[in-house]
Amino acid sequence: MPTTYLRRHAPFWISIAIGLLIWEVAGRSTSAAFMVPFSETMRRLWQLVVSGGFFPALFDSAVLFVTGFVLAVGVGLPLGLLLARVRFLRIGIEPYIMTLYATPMVALIPFILSMMGFGFAPKVLVVFLFAVFPVLYNTVEGARSIRPELIEVARSYRSSEWALWREVMLPYTLPYTMTGVRQSIGRALVGMVAAEFFLSSTGLGQLIMTASQNFDTGGVFASIFVIGMVGVGLMRVGLMIEQHFARWRQ
Amino acid sequence: MATTVVTAASVPAKKSSPLMTGAFLPRLLVGIAILLIWEVVVRALAPAYVAKPSGVVMAIPRVIADPAFWNATLATLTAVAEGLAVALVFGTMIGMLMGRSPLLERGIRHYVNGFYAVPMIVVLPLFSLWFGYSTNTRVATIIFAAIFSIIINVADGARAVPRDYLEVAKSFRSSKLSVLTGIVLPASLPYLLAGFRLAAGRALIGAVVAEFFLSVGGLGYFILYNSRVYKHNEAFVGVLLLAAFGVGFELLIAWATRRFMPWYRRGDKS
Repeated sequence: MPTTYLRRHAPFWISIAIGLLIWEVAGRSTSAAFMVPFSETMRRLWQLVVSGGFFPALFDSAVLFVTGFVLAVGVGLPLGLLLARVRFLRIGIEPYIMTLYATPMVALIPFILSMMGFGFAPKVLVVFLFAVFPVLYNTVEGARSIRPELIEVARSYRSSEWALWREVMLPYTLPYTMTGVRQSIGRALVGMVAAEFFLSSTGLGQLIMTASQNFDTGGVFASIFVIGMVGVGLMRVGLMIEQHFARWRQ
Repeated sequence: MATTVVTAASVPAKKSSPLMTGAFLPRLLVGIAILLIWEVVVRALAPAYVAKPSGVVMAIPRVIADPAFWNATLATLTAVAEGLAVALVFGTMIGMLMGRSPLLERGIRHYVNGFYAVPMIVVLPLFSLWFGYSTNTRVATIIFAAIFSIIINVADGARAVPRDYLEVAKSFRSSKLSVLTGIVLPASLPYLLAGFRLAAGRALIGAVVAEFFLSVGGLGYFILYNSRVYKHNEAFVGVLLLAAFGVGFELLIAWATRRFMPWYRRGDKS
C-alpha cells in the first residue's frame, strides 16, 4: 500500500520539493524587501497564528465568502430553473445575463462603496454579484441544451409537470449548473478579496494590506500563501462537485 | 411591467408561434422592463446622485466630449493589449512544451493549476512592492491574470493532437521544432482560442482592479474618481464601455472560432 502510494504520488512531491527549494534559494539570494524565502514565510505565518491575528481574520473572510456564495446559488439556481421552463422569458433575458456575465463586476465596487458605505452588507453584495452570474448563465445554457423532442415526448405521454422536472429538466440542467457553481466558487473568492481590499478592510484582505503598508514582505508572502492555498482547495472542491454531477450528462 | 411580460410570455410558450422564434420582441420587452424598474426604483428610493437610465443617457454626450475619458480608455486598452500579447506568446510556448513533454508537465502542472486558482487580485500588494505604484504593476497584474488560462488550455490542446499526425511527421523525419510549429500549434489552435477568451475577460478585470488599487490613469480609475465625486451617471458610462469590451471580446472569439474553425465544436472549458 505505501509503495503504490509513493509510486503514484512521487512526481507530485518531487515537483513540490523542487519548487520550494527554488523559492528558498531565490528568497535567500535577493533582498528581504523584495522576496522572502519559504522558511521565513512559514516563520512569519506562525507568528501571525501565535499573535492571534490569523484565525479571526480567516473566520471573518470565511463568513463573508459563505454568505455571499450561498446567496448567489440560492438566487441563481431557482431563477435559472424558472427561466429554463418559461421559454419566452428565457429568450428575453438571455442576452442580458450573458452581458452581465461578461462584465467585469469589479467596476461596480466604487458605486457600492459610495451608496452603501462600510459595513458587512455591501461586502456581501460584492461577493454575490461576482458569484451569481456564472450559476445563472450556465443553468440557462443547460436549459437551452435540452432537446425539445424530449419535452414533447414527455408531454405526449401526459407527463405531469413534476415528472417532467424530475426526469427531463433537472437531469439536463444540473450538470451545467454545477459547472457554474465551480466558476462561482473561484469568482466569489476574488470578490471576497476585492471587497476586503476596497470596502472596509477586514479578514485576510486586511492582513495583506496591513503587511504591505508596513513593508512587511514576509507578512505579504505569508498571507498570499494562505489565500493561494484556500484558492487551490476551493478549486478542488468545485471540481469534485462538478464531476459528481457530470456523470448525469451521459 | 414585469407582470405584463409574464402573461404575454406564457401564451406563446405553449405552441411554437413565429413570435417565439423571433427573439427580438421578448428581448426588447425585457430590456424595457429592466430599464423602467431601475428608473422607478432609483427615483423613488435612492438619493439624487445615484445612476439611473435617464441620467446615464444624459451623461453620455458630456462624457464622449471629454478627452480625458478617451485617454483613460486608451490607457486601459493599451495595457490590456500589452499584457495579453505577452501572456499569449509565453503562455502558448509554455503550454505547448508542457503538453508535449511529460517530464515538464509533471514538474510544473501543479504550479500552473495552483497559480490559476489564486485570486489574481491578492498579488497586487506584492506587485506594487516590486514594481512600484506605476503602470508596470498594472501590466504585470494583467499578465498574471491572463497567462495561466492560456497555458492550461494550450497544454490540453497539445496533448490532444491526433497520434497519426505525429507518426506521419516522424516517418518523414521532421525536426522537433517543425513538429511543434507545423502540427502541435495548428492542432491546438481551438484550445488556444478558448483559453484566450477566458484570458481576455480576466485581463480586463485585472486592469480595472489594478487601477483601483494603484490609482493609475485608466477606465477603472475614471470610474473610481467620478463615483467618489458623486458623478455616478458619468461613472456608469465607463461601466457600459467596459461591459461592451467584455461582450465584444466574447463575440469576437466566438466569431473567429466559427469563421476559421468551423469543424470545431466544444463546450466551454474554463
